[in-house]
Amino acid sequence: MRAYLAKRLLWTLVATWITVTITFLLLELSPVSASEAAFIDRQVQAGMEYEAAAELYDRQLGGGGTATERYLDFVVGLATLEWGHSTTYNRPVVDVVADAWVYSVQYVLPATVVAVVVGFAIGLYSATHQYSAGDYAATTLAFVGVSLPNFWFAVICILVGGVWLGWFPTHYTTDVPGLLSLANAHQLVLPTFVLGTAAIASQARYARAESLEYVRADFVTAARSKGISERAVAVRHVLRPASVPLATVLVGDVLGLLFAGAYVIEVIFGIPGLGLVSYRAILQGDTSLVLATTLIPVFVAILGNLCQDVAYTLLDPRIELGEGR
Amino acid sequence: MTGDAPSAEGSTPPDGSPAERVPPDIDSPDAESPDAESPDADGLDFREIDWAAHEGGRSVPRRHLAFCGVVAVGAVAWALDAAVGIDRGTRFETGVGPASIAPAPGHVDWLFALTLFVVGWAVVVPLVRNPRAAARYWRGFRRNRAAVAGAGFLLVVLAVGIVGPLLLGRPSIDLSNTYRPPVFMGGTWAHPLGTTRSGEDLLRVVVVGMRVSMQVGLIGTAVVVVVATAVGTVAATAGGLVDEALMRFVDVVLTFPTFFLVLLVVYLYGGDLFTITLILGGTTWAATSRVVRSEALQRVEEGYVTAAEAAGASRAWIVWRHVVPNVSNTVVTAATLVVPSLILYEAALAFLGFGDPDVWSWGRVIAEGRSDLQNAPWIATIPGVFLFATVLAFNFLGDALRDALDPRHEADRR
Amino acid sequence: MTSDRTTSDPLLEVDDLRVAFHTDAGLVRAVDGVSFSVGRGETTCLVGESGSGKSVTAEAITRLTPSPPGEIDGGTVRFDGEDVTRATDSRLRELRGNRIAHVFQDPASALNPVYTVGAQIREAIRAHRDVGKRAARARAIDLLDATGIPEPATRVDDYPHEFSGGMKQRVCIAIALACDPDLLIADEPTSALDATVEAGILDLFAELRAAFGTSLLFITHDLGVASRIADRVVVLYAGRVMESGPASAVFDRPAHPYTRALLACRPGVPGGSRPIPGSLPDPVDPPDGCRFAERCPHAIAACRDGEHPARHRVGDDDHHVSCIHYEGNEGTELGPPPGEGAAWPAWSTRAGGRDE
Repeated sequence: MRAYLAKRLLWTLVATWITVTITFLLLELSPVSASEAAFIDRQVQAGMEYEAAAELYDRQLGGGGTATERYLDFVVGLATLEWGHSTTYNRPVVDVVADAWVYSVQYVLPATVVAVVVGFAIGLYSATHQYSAGDYAATTLAFVGVSLPNFWFAVICILVGGVWLGWFPTHYTTDVPGLLSLANAHQLVLPTFVLGTAAIASQARYARAESLEYVRADFVTAARSKGISERAVAVRHVLRPASVPLATVLVGDVLGLLFAGAYVIEVIFGIPGLGLVSYRAILQGDTSLVLATTLIPVFVAILGNLCQDVAYTLLDPRIELGEGR
Repeated sequence: MTGDAPSAEGSTPPDGSPAERVPPDIDSPDAESPDAESPDADGLDFREIDWAAHEGGRSVPRRHLAFCGVVAVGAVAWALDAAVGIDRGTRFETGVGPASIAPAPGHVDWLFALTLFVVGWAVVVPLVRNPRAAARYWRGFRRNRAAVAGAGFLLVVLAVGIVGPLLLGRPSIDLSNTYRPPVFMGGTWAHPLGTTRSGEDLLRVVVVGMRVSMQVGLIGTAVVVVVATAVGTVAATAGGLVDEALMRFVDVVLTFPTFFLVLLVVYLYGGDLFTITLILGGTTWAATSRVVRSEALQRVEEGYVTAAEAAGASRAWIVWRHVVPNVSNTVVTAATLVVPSLILYEAALAFLGFGDPDVWSWGRVIAEGRSDLQNAPWIATIPGVFLFATVLAFNFLGDALRDALDPRHEADRR
Repeated sequence: MTSDRTTSDPLLEVDDLRVAFHTDAGLVRAVDGVSFSVGRGETTCLVGESGSGKSVTAEAITRLTPSPPGEIDGGTVRFDGEDVTRATDSRLRELRGNRIAHVFQDPASALNPVYTVGAQIREAIRAHRDVGKRAARARAIDLLDATGIPEPATRVDDYPHEFSGGMKQRVCIAIALACDPDLLIADEPTSALDATVEAGILDLFAELRAAFGTSLLFITHDLGVASRIADRVVVLYAGRVMESGPASAVFDRPAHPYTRALLACRPGVPGGSRPIPGSLPDPVDPPDGCRFAERCPHAIAACRDGEHPARHRVGDDDHHVSCIHYEGNEGTELGPPPGEGAAWPAWSTRAGGRDE
């Protein structure tokens, strides 16, 4: 098991390195060069006007030295949290990110927890009551849920809940007593709801599909033959074994879904989280900030994958014998 | 295929045990089946049709020459159009339907026409040529009413998206006609779905949006299919270091939350619809390639690759003739499930304002209508309904296809 | 059906049981009017080819039949005088595992891979006995010991994949015995195991039966196995009972042509093993009359008409056969099939090999 974890840890590092390298190559090959951005950043920080800095860069063509040097600079910069200077906010990128993340986490985290719990419950119910009316209703709703474009759903929710009914604010404001205040919770209802819907639907579909693999398993019949309750059968003998494959989709899929959902939701509701910061950065051509805000979800996902591997070893006793996947 | 090898393809074993993978009948009789041109009806499958026609190995059938010819002509016309821009607006390109419809076909239109042609060739032609198999698929498919409705809706969207902009014309600014409500909200039939802030007719906008969504979804998926099939089959058949390297790379790409990869690449390279579509296809193939690889591995293990190798065939030939046809069911199924996500990504990009500013994507209209929610809610809601319905229809269709084509999922149905 | 059973007050009485499955092809009547009984302390064997409805019968006794698609749509299952088919779900749970326990065919899939074997035994104990974790664990260790697992105190914390096939089946038997059941239903418990392991498991069943006084309903397709442990034998074919009676009577004087054919196709039969020609009838649309008629060397036109043949007594024991040839001549035996002559193996000698 220790060897397996060590292997996965090593792989995480390799994956991070490959990711960083791919990003660097994407940057190098694109019209928007990283070294240019970095160069301009330095000049701006040194007190030069942005335009003047850009001009200077153009004159000194390829100001960052050879490709190898630029690559090393890039990797070292990322590793040492020297993520450059944001022209949009006129502050170091790291500071901007440090201020923004809490606004994202405050509603993404609750939405995730709700989505996993509710989604699994619905999926398990569907699987154990396959072809019942409840199953049909749940699978249809799940289909609708995964097909709803969440940016459009957010607009509809604002229209109904904010404009027509007037129950919830249509825009997020940081002008509240605190992140834990009731007012803040109130204005987060719609964003959390929109984000949660899609995630619940996709979780329910996965949970149903995986649980179905076990609903007819021999050991479920065997468990039933012991005389334990149907609920114990469902939780202990269907959900528990299904949680092993579910753990693998959980991280990759849910993180991707939630991050992407959060991005548009923050733009729509005006929540000053990482999504909105990234959006502004893209609109402003603020490459350093764009890089940071798109790479952070990637790094979180890589870390999530590592956590998933650890969870895997805890969930599946057979793993310690085998190779892993 | 001479009738001595009846296939149980796609059906479950009669004893009612959970469906097992039935080895396809395309394997060993290949070499000695001279009349592979008329495949056994029950053994028909997408995968057998397009490639199995070669099976005699004597001459390339005319169908294939025709296919290659049309594709080549299309490609050359496209290249000429791109290089010189000849014949703009003269609708000269006969035979390559949709591309000639647009007054000035762009890269997307060319590629769309090619994609439609290939889809038609790979899916429609085999079904027409083999009515019995088509009927069998239809019987299985018909039971899923949601999928039938979805397929019908998608055909309408596709047809209207191709023809509609010609008949209705493109949306144009008309400042004397701003904010007209749709008919069901008290508007007139002059603008059945109302108008936007700058007076564009929403019906025209929606119809153009149909074309855009179909283009993005189908072209992007075509890219996914090509890349995923190539990577998946090569990894499975090459094995060893190549397999390891490719799959590790896929692992890394899969770790990327797709949306952010798309976002980053669009930010760095983005711009017009053509680029965005290629980017979408080029960033979303990883999951499909993994599915293709595991399917191809099973096929390889079934032994006919070894058999073909023993017969002296080259590796590339084996991959193309024996592995690719046999994973095409998997590819078709996986591809159908990729389409809706591509459409959603494009719509989200357009909604955020990172899309092609010259294209009336549904996402862009929804974004425009956002500021007018109070006084003109139809601008944001109506295109969204179409987007939602299209995505839902693709999801239903993909689900039904998986049930119909993938025997593993049939076990659920009993 | 008639109720002329000689065993007084049997533990389990299955009467005219019917189980149907809804499939895409149509309604499959997997069990179509099966009656038999298991006496207290007795071992009854259900024998028949695969697809004959043995396992479906076994699962239907405690209503484990997966539903949908399965449905018990007729007959009664009387356990200790109580009709199980009409029991409430909670009553059913009290019976399952506690008074009627199951052992399944494939121990590798009958054990949940994510729990230790100890946890799975404890689950069975604590479903019915109000005992603490520690007491349950102690009992689990005792049970593992009783079923012949070495070092039970350490093995109790191991996961199923750490056991061999035979050991897994011993664990399954330990689970089944957790609450000291009155009836043990073992569904082909040795079919998935190696022949060398099989003998050990069969010995274990015999031992445990003696030690625990459990009645046993043993399902097998292997007549050799049946002849080793059965007190009574019930022969099923295509969801119907063909012959039933004391093991000695059935093996010494098999009455039904199907039973004879089964005995004849066993390996090692004098004169060579003879496979039964043909295959099981279409389960969706079974033929009229006797379902074995298609494959029966004795079949006459009357065999293919009407209902399933009535039960007729053979000899003086509680030995019954459902075959038209015994109508009106109860107590006599059917001769060799016409035209077969001496090629048909002698069934008047012990063909079952009970003495081995």
